[in-house]
Amino acid sequence: MTSNTTVLTDRFATATGRAIAAGVVLVLCVAALMFVSTDLVQELFGYSQNIKAREPTFFIRISLLIGAIAAAFFLITSLSYYKRNKVAIAPWMFLSIGLVFFMIYVIVPIFQSISYSFTRWNGLYDINGIWTGEWVGLHNYKLLLNDPNFYTSLWNNLLWLLLFMLAVPIGLFIALFLNQTVRGIRIYKSLFFFPFVISQVVVGLIFTWAYNPEFGLLSEIWSWFFCETKTNIMGNLTRVCSPEPPSILGDETMATYGIIAAGLWPQIAYCMILYLTGLNNISSDQIEAGRLDGAKGWKMLRHVVLPQLKPATFIAIVVTVIGALRSFDMIATMTQGGPYGSSNVLAYYMYDQAVGEGVGRYGYGSAIATVLFLIMLVYISYFLWRMYQDEMEAR
Amino acid sequence: MKFKLNFSIASIAAAALMSTSAMASDLIITFDDLNPDKKAAYDAAVEAFKKANPDINVTANNGDREAHKGSIRNALQNDSPDVITWYPGNRMGPFVDAGLFMDISDLWASDENLASNFNAIKPTMTRDGKQWGVPYSYYQWGVYYRKDIYDKLSLSEPKTWDELLSNCDVMKEAGVTPFTIGTKFLWTAAGVFDYLNLRTNGYDVHNDLTAGKIKYTDDRIRATFANWEVMLDRCSFVSTHATMSWQDAIAPFANGDAAMYVMGNFSVGQYKDAGLTDEQIDFFQFPEITAGLPRAEEAPADAFFIPAKAKNVENAKKFLSFIATAEVQSEWNKAIGQLPPNAEAEINTDDKFIVEGMETLSTAAGLAQFYDRDAPAAMAKEGMQGFQRFMLDPSTLDEVLENLDKVQAEVYK
Repeated sequence: MTSNTTVLTDRFATATGRAIAAGVVLVLCVAALMFVSTDLVQELFGYSQNIKAREPTFFIRISLLIGAIAAAFFLITSLSYYKRNKVAIAPWMFLSIGLVFFMIYVIVPIFQSISYSFTRWNGLYDINGIWTGEWVGLHNYKLLLNDPNFYTSLWNNLLWLLLFMLAVPIGLFIALFLNQTVRGIRIYKSLFFFPFVISQVVVGLIFTWAYNPEFGLLSEIWSWFFCETKTNIMGNLTRVCSPEPPSILGDETMATYGIIAAGLWPQIAYCMILYLTGLNNISSDQIEAGRLDGAKGWKMLRHVVLPQLKPATFIAIVVTVIGALRSFDMIATMTQGGPYGSSNVLAYYMYDQAVGEGVGRYGYGSAIATVLFLIMLVYISYFLWRMYQDEMEAR
Repeated sequence: MKFKLNFSIASIAAAALMSTSAMASDLIITFDDLNPDKKAAYDAAVEAFKKANPDINVTANNGDREAHKGSIRNALQNDSPDVITWYPGNRMGPFVDAGLFMDISDLWASDENLASNFNAIKPTMTRDGKQWGVPYSYYQWGVYYRKDIYDKLSLSEPKTWDELLSNCDVMKEAGVTPFTIGTKFLWTAAGVFDYLNLRTNGYDVHNDLTAGKIKYTDDRIRATFANWEVMLDRCSFVSTHATMSWQDAIAPFANGDAAMYVMGNFSVGQYKDAGLTDEQIDFFQFPEITAGLPRAEEAPADAFFIPAKAKNVENAKKFLSFIATAEVQSEWNKAIGQLPPNAEAEINTDDKFIVEGMETLSTAAGLAQFYDRDAPAAMAKEGMQGFQRFMLDPSTLDEVLENLDKVQAEVYK
């Protein structure tokens, strides 16, 4: 009886002790976090220049932050409330760090950006850290409705979404074609997959060169048919073409299609790899059964293979939609939205108005961002709803 | 009160002690040009400053010019260096208005060199009656042309608009495209527009337009565009200009397919890199259009500013005084092939473009910064897109001008 109570009190004592220790560490860390500055670090470690104290300060702050988080976890886990409700609380503790960062870097900025869209602001805080903008209500949205560039960008966004979908059937076709056992097939597969490995910026550059009407691949091919080489007035060789080779990225009617074609190249590879893995998992029994029932060719594909590829198709469509909305990199490297804004999409137009080249219409840019967000919300809601449905079915 | 007084005396004493005991003080400079010659000239000036001020710990940063346009916002608001490069004219406006640049009128008044040798450029550095920066370099714009092509066709430098147009006719007859240009990054088109506007309407209209006092649909601006249309028709530009950067556009110029280029003097080095020699290229001022109009020129300047949050203001001012001296300005601009804003500084008399540029600018009735520096950035962006569109398809003129009016009404509020 007595030994039992001592064990209990002991455990109680150590748990409380741990909680108190963790609490003290937590308070110390937080207090130190508020206190640490580059000036202090410079003083403490005797750096000759303030700028050199920045790096150590950063590391000190990070370690204090980690210390504070660890202490907080210790503190929570040693509470008796936690012990009684472990199963309910533990997942939230694991989630909490991610949630905090998700709040800071995703959720809060969304609302900030929506609130900026009702203001006129050039992106600057004055010397005292006071925001320099002014509230203008729905003004930016009214401007948007009258802005031809906005409609161009919106239309281009739509073009991207529609034409980018070509990647799915083309990827499927290539995957079916490559899904055979021939000697060296792995080499062919990796060659087809290759463009997806290259960075978007590099793809953009390669296509910009290929499209160049002066020295690009296309104009080279063009010159076989329509050009002749002459000597010009200075005795140098020059190329005279009639008609002139198309200037794809310099023409408002062709620029967007040119960029989409460049974007499709890696996207097709992506869809292809998704379908190839999907094809690997197709049950041979069903193929066999289909064959016994006399299905082949198109019928086999339509009724036996494709239904089994449904998950792959779903993912392929999802990543392609995301890819189409991520067209920013390609546009930035290939045309910067030009000529005269005709290849803009909403994302690039937003960047262009707010951040790009110091234009600094942050309010207007935020209004564009809000519209883009609303459009994407439709798609995201559908996606989440679909995921939710799948979860429910699985249960 | 008494306590406060005591405290301030104590702090002054402490500061005095600190400054004597800690011999070394800091200076952080942020520059924005990585082109080899520009970088070398900057490094040389910093080295000279270090030598002259051994007790100052100088940290010299340098970064890409386009990236700097974005990063300066952060630099001024959070993480200020003591000296930073930026553009004068309207481009410094937002930062001056937000109080992010330090007013250095006192330096302009107390430094004898700044007070007496920078009169020509002082208005450019002035906003709200105060001076905000010190320029280290500027350069002329004009028409660079292939002298050998001109000689071959027995043409001479045009002095008037008609001479230019008839020159163009001869060139086209001979299969030469009169002008090269690369408008992919838009600003080159603004150079052509500025000159047409300065020659058609003069300096005041340029300033009023970029200050938002004149509409784009104004008859005077329409006259400028009418001249531009004539120029597009009779003096055509290379057809693929929308896909080329200004460097790409040098290729047809160097190959002899195009004969003229409306450009800034920073481009001369690139012509020479492309294989052209001093004998093959030359420079003339953009010809007169409206007879009798006082001749104004484009002369964009580059300058150093002190952020309001700078920590070592005294050292920063020392540096600005230093780079304003005639010796430093001479060395610096000789190295980069540009012009020193300091009237006492020497220029490189072996460089015919510099000599001619000096001549051009010192006799000019007014100096414009450049469309995209005189106009606010948001206006400039739309404006230059409009210019490019007009160049590709002159029939869109009305649409372009009406859209620019709309943007203007919004931007200058």
